[in-house]
Amino acid sequence: MQPEVPLPTVLLIALGVLTVGLGAWALLRRDRPAAPWLRYLWTFLAVLNVAAWWSFVAAVWLLALFSFRTLREYFSLVDIRLEDRWGILGAYLSIPFMTILIQVDWYGFFIVSIPVYAFIIVPFLVVLGGREAKGTVFSIGAIDFGLFLFVYCMGHLGYLLLFRVTWATLFIGGVALANAVEALVIGDRPISVRRGVGMLAIAVPITMAGAVAVQPYTEFALGHSLGIGALIPTLVLAGSYTVTAIERDLGIAPDALAPGRGQVIHGTRAYLFAAPIVFHYIRYFLEE
Amino acid sequence: MSGHWRSPRLWVHLLVLRPLLRLVFGVTVVGKENLRDLDRFVLVANHNSHLDVLLLYTIVPVPHLVRTSAVVARDYFARFPRLVKVLEYLFRPVWVDRVQKDTDPVSEIIGRLDAGENIIIFPEGTRGDPGRLQEFKTGIGRVLAARREVPVVPVHLFGPERSFPRAAPVPLPLWNHVTVGPPQLVRGERHEITATLQRAITDIERTVSAGRHRRTERPRRTRLVAVLGIDGSGKSTLSRRIAEAVSVRGRVGWVGDTLTLFEGGAPQDLQPLQTERLREWMGQQAKQAKSLAHYKIPKLTELLLRDRVVEETRRWYAPVLTVTDGSPLLNMTAWAVLYREEYFTEEFCGRAVAIMSSRGERLGARDPLLKQFPELRVLLRLGLNRLSLPDAVLFLDVPPAVALERIASRGERQQVHETEEKLTKLADAYRLLCRVLVEQYGVPTLRLDGRRPLDDVVAEAIAFVAAAEGNG
Repeated sequence: MQPEVPLPTVLLIALGVLTVGLGAWALLRRDRPAAPWLRYLWTFLAVLNVAAWWSFVAAVWLLALFSFRTLREYFSLVDIRLEDRWGILGAYLSIPFMTILIQVDWYGFFIVSIPVYAFIIVPFLVVLGGREAKGTVFSIGAIDFGLFLFVYCMGHLGYLLLFRVTWATLFIGGVALANAVEALVIGDRPISVRRGVGMLAIAVPITMAGAVAVQPYTEFALGHSLGIGALIPTLVLAGSYTVTAIERDLGIAPDALAPGRGQVIHGTRAYLFAAPIVFHYIRYFLEE
Repeated sequence: MSGHWRSPRLWVHLLVLRPLLRLVFGVTVVGKENLRDLDRFVLVANHNSHLDVLLLYTIVPVPHLVRTSAVVARDYFARFPRLVKVLEYLFRPVWVDRVQKDTDPVSEIIGRLDAGENIIIFPEGTRGDPGRLQEFKTGIGRVLAARREVPVVPVHLFGPERSFPRAAPVPLPLWNHVTVGPPQLVRGERHEITATLQRAITDIERTVSAGRHRRTERPRRTRLVAVLGIDGSGKSTLSRRIAEAVSVRGRVGWVGDTLTLFEGGAPQDLQPLQTERLREWMGQQAKQAKSLAHYKIPKLTELLLRDRVVEETRRWYAPVLTVTDGSPLLNMTAWAVLYREEYFTEEFCGRAVAIMSSRGERLGARDPLLKQFPELRVLLRLGLNRLSLPDAVLFLDVPPAVALERIASRGERQQVHETEEKLTKLADAYRLLCRVLVEQYGVPTLRLDGRRPLDDVVAEAIAFVAAAEGNG
């Protein structure tokens, strides 16, 4: 049962209404800056709408461009040596490499593209570029990790888009919901056990109820709907918690976000952990 | 003013260069409003990369774009004639030849300013080491001193030194931050102008690069401070007092007659090391020696063992500082002077230190140094040439007569070398060594007058140690 208007458009309109509302709220209360996680929700919804109305290929390459943006910000912040330049170039080039594999739906190669091929080629390039061996381990670690988190994890969203645009849309919606709850419950304060449990206690029932409510769109069984509903907020919390520490190490200040200074990383951190795991859940249990 | 819209040059900048820079590299501009209401300006920026001039053109307000010229080095680009044509078109540069110096760029820049144009200039003159600001050339001061009514805008570029440094063959997509400082009207003469501009850019740099990610550095070896002096000069007491005082900041090892660790100003309980016991016994043997010939071997062994204790302290107890009463390396060199003082010059002395601390110095089979210091051959053969060179040296200078008096008042048995003649020679040897250390090794050295009250000497020594630590 597919409705007349694609789901991404519905969500886009909903987000528009929400933003206008929040904008009015921010105007009324000058001291509250706009939520950083909302900024990149627009980007994701734009990608989804391109996929829904126009072409999947264009959408997946837009997503690749966005991955490039995130990875570029990460490399701009992390302490790299002059010797690492070829390795970093290799890391950038593995974005189109992976994207082509999504585009042609070659799952077996996609899933090993970065964890096998890029993770072998990048260290090789790092060592090729280096006359100095000192710092090689840290460089390889930093480059490979950034590649994994900001390209490979994000790539799973593209593959989900290939399965069904509706699924990807609902995934983004679920993450946004969990993000909103996190922003309300925790905000910019450090994540403690109490706050984390509090956030889950509120977010899990909401996303579970949401997943059950959209069953006509997803065509998931009740148990799986509940499972994904519980999975999304948990992974959002874990991802935010982990990336917070990374941000602090990189010198990203949540109160002074700017492009090139952690804005993209901060805005997308909730999606990074959730995307691959929800994707594999769906692929293993639900995709026919 | 409205005619500039018809210039194709403007559209190349607006439609090609600016979007390309933003898409590939990413640009953040802070303080763009500082350029808003100026009718003419000079942009001054740090220079690290070929991207710099492109980045500066992205912040130039659109009405100014067609009448802005950059100062570019011709001698570098002359190798690429096609590129010169592109640059000629895009930036209408003021060419500077750093090799032939046949043109006077200053008068040309002033001419362009008078014609109502804006100037982009990199006062460093060359791209230099990535991320390090070099001394500004005074050409900028000459220009501004001649045209004081033109506002100068300091700009700091952060990022090009990583995205396209001098050593790299290709640029990498990495983010660039452009920070525009407030426009200034200059005052003073040209050196002053240059210096203030350099300071303005350094100030911006400090704010922009605060909190950058840095990999943790490897823990440095703890620093070693040696107190030299003849017997009876009070070096043992002085070194102990220094260790006590510094230990407020952390653990300090003191290698005197015994090894003691100080923490928080108080000595810590410690089981004596095996090496230390051995060293003590050797020390006794040396003290009981009846002639200088009998004194030599036990003393040499004692010094070698003492160095071993120093090494073990630094290795196993990880102190922030190790203070030693004497220094095995330097004492041994000084003793060599004492035995064969006739030929010992600064050069010999420096080479002996280099060999014993294994600093890449070679010793030939018939080296004249061996004549002066035959024990070196044995030391080398036994692999005992890795003695530690102190990071800072204090020399406690006391007249030998005073020192002998002090020794007598201790009531100990007088050692064979403790005569006024030998002690004078030893003090001279230490002085020679201190000169060598400063001149050849850059080790900070301080001479202290041992006749002054102890508290004054200690205070001066502690201040010196703190300063030496800060430098390293």
